[in-house]
Amino acid sequence: MRETIRNAPLYAAMIGVPVLMMAELLSSLFYPPASAILVPLIIIGLFVFGFSAMREVYPKHAISIGTPYYFNGITKTTVEKKEPSVMKKNAKEVKLKLVRFNPSSKRMEANIYTIAVDRFTTVLDALLHIKEKEDSTLSMRYSCRMGICGSCGVVVNGKPCLACETNVLNSTGLSGIEVSPMHGNPLLKDLVNDFDDFFRRHIAVKPQLFREDKVAQYVADAEYPQTQKQVEAFLPYSYCIMCGLCLDACPVVNTNPDFIGPQALSQAQRYLADSRDQLGTERIKLVDSMEGIWGCEFAGSCSKVCPKGVDPATAIQLLKSEAVDRAIKYK
Amino acid sequence: MEVLDYDILVLGSGIAGLTSAIHASKLLGGSGKIAIISKLHLMRSHSIAAEGGISGVLYPSENGDTFDLHAYDTIKGSDYLADQDAVESLVASAPKEIRFFEHLGVPWSREPDGKITSRAFGGMSMKRTAFAADKTGFFMMRALYDTVLGLSNVERFHEHFATSLFVKNNKFIGLTCVDLATGAVKLFKGKTCIIATGGYSRTYGFTTTSHSATGDGTALAWEAGLPLKDMEFVQFHPTALVPNGILITEAARGEGGLLKNADDERFMQRYAPSVMELAPRDIVSRAIMTEISEGRGITQEGSGIEHVYLDLTQLGEEKLDEKLPMIKEMTIKSLGLDPSKEKIPVRPATHFTMGGIHTDIEGRVFSHDRKNRIENLWAAGECGCVSIHGANRLGSNSLSECAVWGRATGMAAAKYARVHEHGYSIGAKAMAALEEKRLERLTDRGKGNDPYAIRERLQSLMEEHMFVFRSKAGMEKARVGIARLKLQAKDVRIVDKGKVFNTNLRDALEIKNLLDLAAVSVKCAIERHESRGAHSRTDYKSRDDKRWLKHTIARKSRTGIDISYLPVVITKWQPKPREY
Repeated sequence: MRETIRNAPLYAAMIGVPVLMMAELLSSLFYPPASAILVPLIIIGLFVFGFSAMREVYPKHAISIGTPYYFNGITKTTVEKKEPSVMKKNAKEVKLKLVRFNPSSKRMEANIYTIAVDRFTTVLDALLHIKEKEDSTLSMRYSCRMGICGSCGVVVNGKPCLACETNVLNSTGLSGIEVSPMHGNPLLKDLVNDFDDFFRRHIAVKPQLFREDKVAQYVADAEYPQTQKQVEAFLPYSYCIMCGLCLDACPVVNTNPDFIGPQALSQAQRYLADSRDQLGTERIKLVDSMEGIWGCEFAGSCSKVCPKGVDPATAIQLLKSEAVDRAIKYK
Repeated sequence: MEVLDYDILVLGSGIAGLTSAIHASKLLGGSGKIAIISKLHLMRSHSIAAEGGISGVLYPSENGDTFDLHAYDTIKGSDYLADQDAVESLVASAPKEIRFFEHLGVPWSREPDGKITSRAFGGMSMKRTAFAADKTGFFMMRALYDTVLGLSNVERFHEHFATSLFVKNNKFIGLTCVDLATGAVKLFKGKTCIIATGGYSRTYGFTTTSHSATGDGTALAWEAGLPLKDMEFVQFHPTALVPNGILITEAARGEGGLLKNADDERFMQRYAPSVMELAPRDIVSRAIMTEISEGRGITQEGSGIEHVYLDLTQLGEEKLDEKLPMIKEMTIKSLGLDPSKEKIPVRPATHFTMGGIHTDIEGRVFSHDRKNRIENLWAAGECGCVSIHGANRLGSNSLSECAVWGRATGMAAAKYARVHEHGYSIGAKAMAALEEKRLERLTDRGKGNDPYAIRERLQSLMEEHMFVFRSKAGMEKARVGIARLKLQAKDVRIVDKGKVFNTNLRDALEIKNLLDLAAVSVKCAIERHESRGAHSRTDYKSRDDKRWLKHTIARKSRTGIDISYLPVVITKWQPKPREY
């Protein structure tokens, strides 16, 4: 019944607009002056119809203002009324908006929680607090909580970051803090992405040390000598924790999924720059294509979001210059 | 139900698990298939958080270091509870394993001439810990994971949570897993299985370990009736960041960091005058807790936690950036504190569990009767107890253990799988079907107790009564409290009824595992009437070699927990008073 009342303008317009249009048609034939009154009425009717229809699709449209464009599909926003349970002394109350994917309806939903935080609380702490105290159905990935396992990539206030490394108070603005899932990969549930595609990209660049001496590699009687300088050549690219944030931030891979993306390319550079690796030009050939290094448009967003300072953007430019060098040499 | 069949199942994807898979894969070649099963993404296991380094005498002739000296340090560190034959095999194989990791791509920190460099560590009388800045575990994990990707006979099962282990007539038959992504229960049958699931430090709340360190493999083995060894010995790392428990590596002290109390005094001079900050972890942890209880600690504003200081300011910014970049990054990110300018607040936190599945020197698991072995089941790494660490592990020996027993168990499993056919496993399907029913019933239950509240109470009980100092009365309280929690956990409520990525169900299963292991740990601790290594009692203050130079073996019995003892293997080093 309440549905019917709420949607009354919609039904009125659905019936009213065709009736008025028919009347307009008839009156213009038999009594022209009447159409001057009917035309504005039809226009008003069409507006009512449009607004009501929009409300059907975005019921709480006002709340999703300010969310990134890819979350236009939020269908349900609930505000948790529960009193915040105080976590520690000196706590402050913060409004946390949690955007999550519902796997059964295949829609995005948003919940707003009021939680108590102190100056140490990270986004992961806040999410765990919600999971353990308010809504145990919430799912997210997490493990080490010290920024090294790469599990807890989320989007906070529109920026991809690690939940365990992001302080809640530092990221809270006037309207609170918003946590949503990464959008570069398909979603499984709530904040959990499907990483299969991400892993396939990584595997495609053959991320292993290739050696001619296969047996000696495993027997390992003596080390392959390497100076500290040679170590430093590949070290910056070896810090990748495979969290997927760079892929999430990359504008190219998000518009052209065929582009292999910054994570895989930075790993190609990591093994190419390692003096112990013997795959050589073969390694460059793996990425020497439009889907590989030449697809990069150097927006640099990958390097901006990387929580470990890997700088894939530079890695890709180094690969490009290496590819050109080798092409000239071997022609 | 999906039934999968493999020659080798590797349960767990830390350094031990992945190493064993790689060596097994090489030995099997094209003749067999291996599955690696992990409850996380394979590359995210807790080994990734190891910081300081891996021990091994790389260049014995150069600085006067020898295998025997490494073995002696380890045994002295273990308070003479380590099996000395196992320690000898560890120290002899460790250097080779460090080089093997170098061959897989680990960027070890180097000397100017290209040799692998070493740093000082607690309880080690020489510099013999190889390292890659302060991200050693991370680099080893990435090298292993990347290598696994290149092996065609290894299949990877990300995010599969193991729920039961089937052992029948002293033979491993199979195990069941929940595929978290779909919620489907799968039966994995295997000719052989290697358990490498790590420790159970999450029985405590204030811990340096990942949220995932819940000892699932150890608990499954316990549930299957297999004996566990030395479960009372839990290591407390002296320097965990306050308030979140993030590990500040021992290497920080190895590189010259100082411990100071509220009076700015280097208090270690009163506890271990000859080695100061580089005493073994049990001694430093006791020192810090004594300082705090005698009122020389500092109370942190905001969290109210009492702590002491780790002073790295004298190292200088350059050395910090080169040798301890992650420590700097983490203190800045979590406290807004620059260690080159300010002292770091630290206190002891649970870090490692010396005890685990009772295995022989090759890592093969003992069966319920404690004499025979399960011929096709191994345990490697922290989840197993070959007994190298005894009553207290020395820093950087754990990575060596994972590497050495990873290789040993992988090779042994591959050799076994090559010559044996798939055994009879008629019962496996029926047992798996029962397991599926059990999980369904668990998820469907409408009301019951909140698993997270149970875990919170368990962790506070363990922290209060089973921490650095233990007493009979306290441990009895913990035992009774845990028994009560176990009853509550039988009737647990899963709010999430969905199939997809149901972490609520996973958590409930993990919490049951934690309760089982905590109960065993407390029981073993109550029974051991002495102070040895990390097990320090206020009512039995000294070590008693006459009565207690033996391993505790616990196994499940009809009445609860059945305790027996096993002598320690002594080869060259007779027990002496342990002084530093």
